[in-house]
Amino acid sequence: MSNEEFVQHLMLIAEAPEPVRAPSTLKSRIYSALQQEQSGTGPLRSLTQTAAGGGRLCVFEKLVQIAPVGEAMKSRNPCRVCHARVLGERVEGAPIWWPNCPYVRFQNR
Amino acid sequence: MAASPEPGAAVESSDLQLAELVRQKDRKATSDLVALHADAVYAYIAHRLQPNKTHAEDLTQEVFVAALRSIDGYRGTSSIRYWLLGIARHAVQDHYRQSLKEASLEDTGVTGVTVNDNLPERIDDERQRERTERVLNRMRQDYSVLLRWRYWENKSTAEMAALTQKSDKAVERALARARRQFSELWKETL
Repeated sequence: MSNEEFVQHLMLIAEAPEPVRAPSTLKSRIYSALQQEQSGTGPLRSLTQTAAGGGRLCVFEKLVQIAPVGEAMKSRNPCRVCHARVLGERVEGAPIWWPNCPYVRFQNR
Repeated sequence: MAASPEPGAAVESSDLQLAELVRQKDRKATSDLVALHADAVYAYIAHRLQPNKTHAEDLTQEVFVAALRSIDGYRGTSSIRYWLLGIARHAVQDHYRQSLKEASLEDTGVTGVTVNDNLPERIDDERQRERTERVLNRMRQDYSVLLRWRYWENKSTAEMAALTQKSDKAVERALARARRQFSELWKETL
């Protein structure tokens, strides 16, 4: 076996990645970045529309959704000021358990 | 090309629906996009960039941001995961190109090694794979990138030379040195 064949043989064996879970902090940062990107180009889909479409809201989103405020407020990103986001972005296995919170969903538990 | 997106990856109607909701800036759809596909994209990138985990994380995030910016271009001709892995593949190739463009590719004294005629047949693939990964992680980074680009992305010497603005000969010589270093480290790495 030539040197080239030897290396090629082993490289091909090692080509496929093993299944690896992305760190939950990474998923949280990605989601925050996407939300920021979407907010930067206009309002998000309102919480009312999201809920009507079957999207399950976390308790904070639900509060905003039922509050007597305009649709503009309901199209903002409440996660921006939420402790769950801060913990999710910084702590692997963050101690957060709010139902329907995306940052809770990203935890590798 | 086992790690690459598989041709014919099925498109589900839920993929089209997800993409449409992401276009509408639906936050739950955006979280679905991340929750459903971040593991696969990260695994692909981390494997190709190992052992640099920080850079793998940065690149994974860049892939998702790039995907969001071009979500209007997703037509459902492939699954969302296949589409995301395609973006990831381009990002990895760009990383390879950039790191080799900046590398000197000069000879730093890798000796001529001929160790390759007795690949132990009794070692199973999994052990060979782990040992190969350890060798790649110990190699000079530009040499390791050269081997990954050559064998995992099927890039020819001429293509790598053109993309890194180096001569064919320089890349050929560096590739030969990379193989020699691989063989040398293979002997040392158990």
